[in-house]
This record gives sequence, structure tokens and C-alpha cells, in this order.
Amino acid sequence: MRAYILFSILGSLAPAPPRAPLDAPQTVETGKRQVCVHTRLIDEVFEWKIQRSLQMTREMGADTIVEFFPWAYAEPSKGQYSWSSFDRIVKHARNQGLHIIARMGLVPEWARPDSATRQTTLNDLPDESFDEFADFVATFAARYAGVVDHIIIWNEPNLSFEWGYRPVDPAGYGRLLQATYDQAHAANPQVMILAAPLAPTLEPVGSPNGLDDLLYLEALYQAGAADYFDALAMHTYGFTEPPEAPPAPDALNFRRAELLHHIMLEHDDPDTPVYITESGWNDNPRWTKAVRPSQRAAYTVAAFKWAENEWPWLAKLCVWALRYPVSTFSYPDNFTLITPDFQPKPIYYAIQVYARGWEQSEDLWLPAPGT
Amino acid sequence: MAARPWHIAALTLGMALTVWAWVLVGVTFGLRWSSVQRPGPPVKELFPYGEMRVGVDASYPPFAVATATDLFGLDIDLGRALAERLGVPIRFVNMGYDGLYDSLKADQVDVVISALLIDPSKTNEVRYTFPYYNAGLMLVSDANRPIPTMQDMSGRSLAYEFGSEADLVARAWLRRIAPFATRPYELPTYALEATRLQLADAALTDATSARLYLRDHPDWVVHLADVTHSLYGIAVRMDRGRTWNAVNQALQSLLDDGTLEAIIGRWL
Repeated sequence: MRAYILFSILGSLAPAPPRAPLDAPQTVETGKRQVCVHTRLIDEVFEWKIQRSLQMTREMGADTIVEFFPWAYAEPSKGQYSWSSFDRIVKHARNQGLHIIARMGLVPEWARPDSATRQTTLNDLPDESFDEFADFVATFAARYAGVVDHIIIWNEPNLSFEWGYRPVDPAGYGRLLQATYDQAHAANPQVMILAAPLAPTLEPVGSPNGLDDLLYLEALYQAGAADYFDALAMHTYGFTEPPEAPPAPDALNFRRAELLHHIMLEHDDPDTPVYITESGWNDNPRWTKAVRPSQRAAYTVAAFKWAENEWPWLAKLCVWALRYPVSTFSYPDNFTLITPDFQPKPIYYAIQVYARGWEQSEDLWLPAPGT
Repeated sequence: MAARPWHIAALTLGMALTVWAWVLVGVTFGLRWSSVQRPGPPVKELFPYGEMRVGVDASYPPFAVATATDLFGLDIDLGRALAERLGVPIRFVNMGYDGLYDSLKADQVDVVISALLIDPSKTNEVRYTFPYYNAGLMLVSDANRPIPTMQDMSGRSLAYEFGSEADLVARAWLRRIAPFATRPYELPTYALEATRLQLADAALTDATSARLYLRDHPDWVVHLADVTHSLYGIAVRMDRGRTWNAVNQALQSLLDDGTLEAIIGRWL
């Protein structure tokens, strides 16, 4: 009993986490409207960390974020909604003057196949649950109308993993878009439905892992899905090549986006805008698809310039990723712009200098000794 | 009849001696018992497939690199030395870094030896051995002008790789102590070269970069100080406690007889 009392007293002495009162409404100061960043806020425990992340996004000069809004979090039981984790992100983003592109996915258990009958995953959305997903998207679109007007339907459906470990199915994904599109527009006439970004991959037809993104997009158009999206999301990573490296069907690099856009043109779809919702380079010292930190900073800024000058069809170029809530102790940490404890990496400052039109006062690094 | 005081004292002393004697016997027995070399579990129990299947991402020199026909590197040598101690054949399974933990969980491999950072968040999923290598940041200074710790950097100049972990740590120290000059370079080797050429007072680099540079410059006598710890361990499936124990003991024996240091010295 005494120990209980002692621990209770000691526990009550622990400092409360900082509160996150809203600032006066902010506006983003930027000279580059294409600059955008993908955040990872939904699994953040403390609200002040959400707020700090979004403040740093604004201060960097990005006026838009991409954030994941998992269906399973908001509708854990059919028709029973829990919006609090979404609300606090939307509230703080709006307060910082940021636009949100919402990515939808993650199937609640009640909408997944019966796990007793087949192995199922959190990304397993059977055809018979398409309408329920569409209901959720429409509910989301109505709730956040005027605040969140860009919604991405699913993520990388050309990967088997992202398609519930089922064979990838462009026509099936087209049906998902069709099921969602009209309902979302009825709920929020201003909403822009983005077709899912495809994973950059060279997987051939029949691969159990997925399908080449170029082949998948072609099949998606052939399935007649163009009528059911207002914009196309893309993922394009530079891996080990600089942003200017020429695209090729058998190469994964930053300008692969041009090949995807070419498919849009071939299908007489030149006016549909493109949002690159994930992009960037990794500077992990061990990952074979990574570059040095100096290259990463230089390539990222050069990519923004390339997109600004060469890609008039591009609406946003979003860097993956601002920050993770905790370290992964692995190479994904080297995609971020700031550390979990909010220390900006030099690449953050490099993007900030570019986005806000500041003069780079000095070179970022010294010449090699002896040169 | 009332007991006399000396009877009580004698009785108490006798009991105390008896207890003490039993404790002595117990401790002695325990020590002897723990030192007795007993045969470990049969290999078949430790490695059900009759071999030690080692997951490795052979794309990270000098720890593991693949050629068309072979694998080589520090982790490869370490795996072979462990297998020899354990008396079990070894088979390396080369895979991407992101598949290492999954392969362990899916029972595709028995252990992972792949410059694996010990991740506290995964300790409920896998068992790590004690660390066999510290890849953390080192402060490298000339032995004639040694800088023992980061606290001693104030008023001096520090070279490091731009954008790296060293860059972040240097910025953090700048907020803690009186200022020092920063010298960011494009590569960690440039930072070390700058220090060797006295363009900076010290370099902050990861241990592997420092060791590789110093191997190529054996005439440069330096003072080394650990600044951070990034510990590499061997991961074993959570449900293979005996395997983990055997691998840990084998690793300990490699450490005790100098084999581990010799392997590290061969590559770094």
C-alpha cells in the first residue's frame, strides 16, 4: 500500500507533455508552390509533435503535405466513426496554413475477408467491400470539405503487398476508383480524386511481387479508369542517379515520371494534373540504392528545379518524408528531413533556401583537402 | 530451570555456524556446478535444418560483399568462425537489407549476421547477441595534439561529412558548449584528410570510415575517442533461446581468444 502511494506520488510528479494550443493562423512564405512534403503524423502520440512537425513544414517553405488517413483508424466498426486522430492533424495543418493531400487506405477488420478462410492483410480489400470503402471516402470528403480537397485512393496497387498479397489487378483497381469517384464528388463537389501512385518497379507480367508501373498504368487506362480520377499521383525516386539522368523503361530514376506522363498523353489525357506524392533520395551509408548526403541535398534541390522548368504538367513535388515518429534503426531513417527529436538535417535547410528564395550564403561543403 | 546466559550464547553461535557452513557448502557447490563443462544441446536441436543458415545482405563492404561465386567480408568471416566453434555447417542466404528480419521470422534463416544495428524496438521480436562491433562516431585527432572528448572542442575546428550523422552530432554539440569552427566536407575521408593535414583539429566520423582511412595511413598516429555507439549484433529468432545462447557463447569464446579482434583487424 505504501509502495502504491509512493509510486502514485512519484507518477504525479512526472512533467505533463507540452500542450499544443493553436497559434494565430499562419501563412506559408514560399516562392515555390510545387514544394511539398509527405508527413508521417497519424501514428504520432503527442499532439505537440504534430504541431511542431507542421510548423517546421511551413518554415521550410512547403505549403502542402501528404498524409495517410487510415480507414481502419476512423471506422473501427462499421458505421462507428472515430475522427479524433484525423481532426488534430487537420486542425494543426490548417492553423499553419498548409494544404493537405489525404491518402486513403488500410482496411478495417470488419471489411477484410474472413481470416479463417484465407490469409489476409491490412491492405486486403475484396471487391465486395469496395462500396463500403467508397462510403468511408465520401464521409471523409464531406467532413473535411473545403479543408481537405485532394484525396488519393489507395497506395501503390501495382505491388502485391499493397493489394493485399493478391495478384495485382489494374482493372480491379479501376473498379475501386469507379466505386469511389461519384460518391466522393457528391459529398464534396470540390474534391479532387487522385488515382493511386504506382511503385516504381520493373516487375514483369506474372511476377508474384507486382507489376511494372508503366505496364500497370497502361492497363489502367485500357480498363477505362480515366473517367474516375481528376489527377494522377506518382511516386518517383532517384535512387543512385542524379535527377537529370534520362528515363528509360528499364531504369528506375527520377525522370521515370516522364514515361508515366507519356502514357497519359498517349491516352489523350494531357490536362489531368500530376502530383508526385513521394520522391527523393536516400543517404544511408550502407543501402545500395543510396547516395552520399551531399549528393542527396544537391539532387533534391536540382529535382525541384527540373520539375519547375521541365514539367509544366506537375502540380506538386512532395519529398518523402519530413520525419518519422521514432527511429527505424535502418535505412528508411535516411529519407527524412528532420530527426525524431526535431533536429533539422542539412537537406532541410537546402530545401528551405530553395523554397523561400534565400541566397545561399556559402557553399554547403568545403573542397576536398589538397585540391 | 532457567537457561544460563552462556548456554543461550553457545546455542546461538552453534546455529550461526551451522547456517554459515551450509551457505558455504551451497555456494561452493554452485560455483563448481556452474563451471562443469556439460555437453550443450545437440546441434540438431540448435539448428533444425542441420546447418546454420545465415541471413546476410552482401552489399555492404567491408562487412559483406558478393561476387558472382562467393561472399566475403567481416560478417562472412565471423559467421564461419562461429559455425566452426559450434561444429555446424554454414550456409549464407544473401538477400536485401529490408528482408533480413522477415527472413528470420519466416524461418528462412537461423541467424542474421549483417552489420545489424541493435534495435531496441525489435527486442520483443528477435534476440540479439552482445555487440561484436561499435560503428558509432569517433573523434579522431592527431596524437601530438590529442582532443579527448567533444567537450574539449571549444575554440577548435572540427571536420565531418556534410549531412551525415556526424554533422547532426556536431550541430548538437555546438548548442551545448562554447563554439568551435565547423569544417563540412563531401566525404568522411576528406574530413580525416583535413585533420591529418592540420586543416582541422579533429575529425568526427563513423568508426568504420576512420579505421579504413587509418589502415591506408599507418604512419599517422592518432588519438581516438568514442562519441556515440552504434552497436552491431547477431539476431536470432525469439523462440530459439537455446540457439541464441549457443551463438552468444561461441561469440564470447571468439572474443576471449582474440579471434574476433583478428577478424575485425583483417577487414578494418
